[in-house]
Amino acid sequence: MAQILVVDDSGTVRNEVSDFLKANGLSVTPAVDGKDGLDKLKSDPGIKLVISDVNMPNMDGITMSEKIRSELNNSAVNIIILTTENNPAMKERGKAAGIKGWIVKPFNGEAVISTLKKLVA
Amino acid sequence: MHDAMNNIGQLVSKVLVLDEVGMGFDSLKAFYEECGLVGIRAQKNDAASVMAILKSNVDLGGIMLHENFNDNGLALARDIHAMRPELPIFLRRDAIASVAGLSEKDAAIFRCAYTLNDLQVLKDSLAASIFNRIYPNDLVRGITQITSIALGAVFRNCEIEVETPYLVKDRIIYGEVFSMIAIESGWCRGYMMLQAEESAMMDMIQRAAQADNAQNPQVTFRALNNVLSEATNLVWGAFKNRYVGQEQNPDNLLLTQVPIIINHQRHFISFGSDDPQLCIKYVLRDSLQAHAAPVILFQRFVFNLNWSPDQFRETTVESLVDSGELELF
Repeated sequence: MAQILVVDDSGTVRNEVSDFLKANGLSVTPAVDGKDGLDKLKSDPGIKLVISDVNMPNMDGITMSEKIRSELNNSAVNIIILTTENNPAMKERGKAAGIKGWIVKPFNGEAVISTLKKLVA
Repeated sequence: MHDAMNNIGQLVSKVLVLDEVGMGFDSLKAFYEECGLVGIRAQKNDAASVMAILKSNVDLGGIMLHENFNDNGLALARDIHAMRPELPIFLRRDAIASVAGLSEKDAAIFRCAYTLNDLQVLKDSLAASIFNRIYPNDLVRGITQITSIALGAVFRNCEIEVETPYLVKDRIIYGEVFSMIAIESGWCRGYMMLQAEESAMMDMIQRAAQADNAQNPQVTFRALNNVLSEATNLVWGAFKNRYVGQEQNPDNLLLTQVPIIINHQRHFISFGSDDPQLCIKYVLRDSLQAHAAPVILFQRFVFNLNWSPDQFRETTVESLVDSGELELF
């Protein structure tokens, strides 16, 4: 059972984030897009934190977050968006979907690891 | 990071100079500088050498040809035009500043004919053919800045040199691998491309993977795809944040599209527009292995669907949080 679900269509980002989290003692499951992310969360409801990109094929990260709350009825999992987007309107939509936080890429693991660990505790 | 960004003034364009060195040529050189032309010369004046240059230089804005170059400038012009019709050819003549005396078919090859006594004709033609698009300095400077930051985030342990941006009429793709992403806003619509040679980039990625993992992992072309994709994504995102901002569905956004044509055999890509493209060359040098060959990356902006630089502005929304930091809601 993984603690964190990392959702990004970029293999580079998935590997970078996953490797960093694992090096910090956290267990990770990767997903390649929002649809895959939903499926992975459905089959592993013990996941405590989702770190997701926004711009992905098949299903974007905001829509995935909305469906996590509505279709999976999962209000417990924390969702952090990791994206190039810094659009206030998009952030508002994310907040409405129950997203906990927002990171504008590039990923800086050292800057966020202590908060991420608290979110999976 | 080599800082060509602060030296951005007039955009330049590279031209292939097929003209003999002579007394009048020094004044032409000064004129080139004034007009923002950077001359590239063939080492040998034969047709084969010229064609070899055209095959290897994929970022030209035009051709400056003397009518008596290689004893038959006209024949060379026909070959060049057949091979690269998108490149404007400007004909220097000794006696007359016109295409008089040429057949209609031959005359159509040239954007203008001029003499050293009347360079205004050439200047006007350059303005109409190569420098007919305004790219705001702030935009160009900003693009080099955000791209350098993005490349630095993806290609760690690299020194990044940025060459002076220039305008290109070439439609030839550099290297074997390129990314392309749409840019949509109320004031500009088109695409951004990042083009590179596969082998140099693969070598760099392999070295980085080996530095991270002592067990010599196999790096395939898909790793390159991922890296290039992420670099493209970072640039695109930063461009959107800085120059598209809060624009969501501007009223005047008419979602037209045109086919993009790619000919793999000829390394050719066309977006249906004849306008000059903004081209910026980045050189990535591995700072941990000085002997390693650098990676050359060409970035091209093709605003083929809409270009309204008078409406260009930078977004004024300031982020409360730096990139990489977590903004908690």
